[in-house]
Amino acid sequence: MDPAGVFATSFERDQALIRTRGQCVALVLLFVALVILPHVLGPRLVAISTNMLIMAVVVIGLQINMGYAGQINLGQAAFMGVGAYATGALAIKFNLPFWLSIPFGGCAAAVFGFIFGLSAVRIKGFYLALTTIAAQTLFHFLILNLPQSWFGGSNGLTLEPAQIFGFSFVSETSIYYLCLAVTAAMVFGAYGIVRSRHGRAFVAVCDDDVASGLMGINVVRTKATAFLIGAFYAGIGGGLWAYYVRFVAVDQFTLFHSIWFIAMVIVGGLGSITGALIGVFVIKAIQESFVTLGPSIVAQFPSLGGDVVFAMMNVFLGGIIAAFLIFEPRGLMHRWNILKRSYRLWPFPY
Amino acid sequence: MLSAVSPLYSASQSRAAQNAAVLVADGIRMAFGGVVALDNVSIAVGVDELLAVIGPNGAGKTSLMNCLSGFYRPQQGEVRFNGSLLSGMGVHHIVKAGLARTFQGTHIFSNMTVIENIMVGRHIHMKSSIPSAFFYFGPCRREEIRHREVVEEIIELLEIESIRHQPVGSLGYGLRKRVDLGRALAQEPSILLMDEPMAGMNTEEKEDLARFILDVREARQIPVVLVEHDMGVVMDLADRIVVLDFGRKIAEGTPLEVQKNPAVLKAYLGEGNR
Repeated sequence: MDPAGVFATSFERDQALIRTRGQCVALVLLFVALVILPHVLGPRLVAISTNMLIMAVVVIGLQINMGYAGQINLGQAAFMGVGAYATGALAIKFNLPFWLSIPFGGCAAAVFGFIFGLSAVRIKGFYLALTTIAAQTLFHFLILNLPQSWFGGSNGLTLEPAQIFGFSFVSETSIYYLCLAVTAAMVFGAYGIVRSRHGRAFVAVCDDDVASGLMGINVVRTKATAFLIGAFYAGIGGGLWAYYVRFVAVDQFTLFHSIWFIAMVIVGGLGSITGALIGVFVIKAIQESFVTLGPSIVAQFPSLGGDVVFAMMNVFLGGIIAAFLIFEPRGLMHRWNILKRSYRLWPFPY
Repeated sequence: MLSAVSPLYSASQSRAAQNAAVLVADGIRMAFGGVVALDNVSIAVGVDELLAVIGPNGAGKTSLMNCLSGFYRPQQGEVRFNGSLLSGMGVHHIVKAGLARTFQGTHIFSNMTVIENIMVGRHIHMKSSIPSAFFYFGPCRREEIRHREVVEEIIELLEIESIRHQPVGSLGYGLRKRVDLGRALAQEPSILLMDEPMAGMNTEEKEDLARFILDVREARQIPVVLVEHDMGVVMDLADRIVVLDFGRKIAEGTPLEVQKNPAVLKAYLGEGNR
């Protein structure tokens, strides 16, 4: 709901996402902050930020697939991996520039995801989750067993830095800006997709597939499309990852990563692009602060030993996810919306 | 108010309607295991007519509805809509051909707002591809706004302006049914099937919905098939009534004819020993 005194006088205004001057200012400030960030923060924090931007693309894909279309997907890391490997192979074998290899990598992931999307046509819920785990296993199996000349097998792929007009993205700062630009474009696109007829079809299929069939929505195609878009986003994220790390290996895309992506979606809030971004930020921030805190805890309590402390970190992170599932299953975004609503209605209850 | 608005329906009009039928079911049979839900039922829905299907519990009304909307595939007989055979068409193709239906109970998208629900009804009329949705500003947004205008007209017709931004999950039953009707209207159907729209409503809500059904007929000039339990509603609204009992059609005619039909009285009230 809008704050008091804000009235839409046209349909353009009424469906706009940025509705008040305050939101506009906040968005501009966020952009400025993101642009000056690498000049203010140290190299480690810039690296974490780049990581977050790449994750954001992948998790937005998962949000569209899982939060909007309601198709549980435990294979998002595999889709990301397909994108990373395809990007890497295209860049190495065919010398494609990054602005071609990343989109093609996204398309490769989209095709891979689409195949698993077809299984979502007949399978729902837990069983679909199991099927998408198959994507994860299949990805590992294929990469390790295909001829080594294709995807490097267990050696992985090593990439040259991305280049454009003679400028190469070697430094941490330059790759940060590349990721920022791509992520901004993908976030913009995601807001467009979920507001269009496709986004409504996703939510409709998730809510009630019988009724959505009778609305003229092709349920089969919609579910497969959700997987296709989700996997495309994962593939783009994978492509960025390939150019960021400049080394692609299977153990960067495990089931464990997929589960973290799901955790980010849930903590942020299902069915909200902004929620996905918040989820990435929160989970990644907690993870990284644990990694930073770990050694100092070990230093404080040497009797515990490094093994115990680092194992406990995972337990603690798992605890956070469990707490979210119990106390705030609809995520931070839901809580934020409640707060915003009650603030705008104050002092009245409704 | 449920005033008696049904026009007198002469036999010649009935025949004319048969000739220009929009939706025809011919000798359909539907059995679930040993239970025969529909047995050799034939009905024809004429242009601009309100046909009501009534019958005691378990008479096969909803099964007939599901056959007519292409949801069930009858084991015998055929359903034709504007001349083309329904069985074998995917449900979304049937909808695109112009058949809309509302549900018994609520099959509404409860996580969406009223506007979004009705916009889903516009889905079949919208064309924007995923790439154009990705860029959004431009063709996609223009299309959204164009269809939003249509949706606003429906919202106005159904008098739900004040709740247009509310999630449907938070609305009462009567309003949900109204949104369901709006969603069906947004498809701009050439025939509307309504499965027990009045079930579980209080008198006031029933009166409202009856008024909207009449408004819709007036505004859209489309045939409506109504499955309903409430006799008052049916007798007041319907041009023609089909009565089912144990899967068979036992009577057909104007409300007045059906009320006097001994087979109908027997089905509803049983046989007395006079």
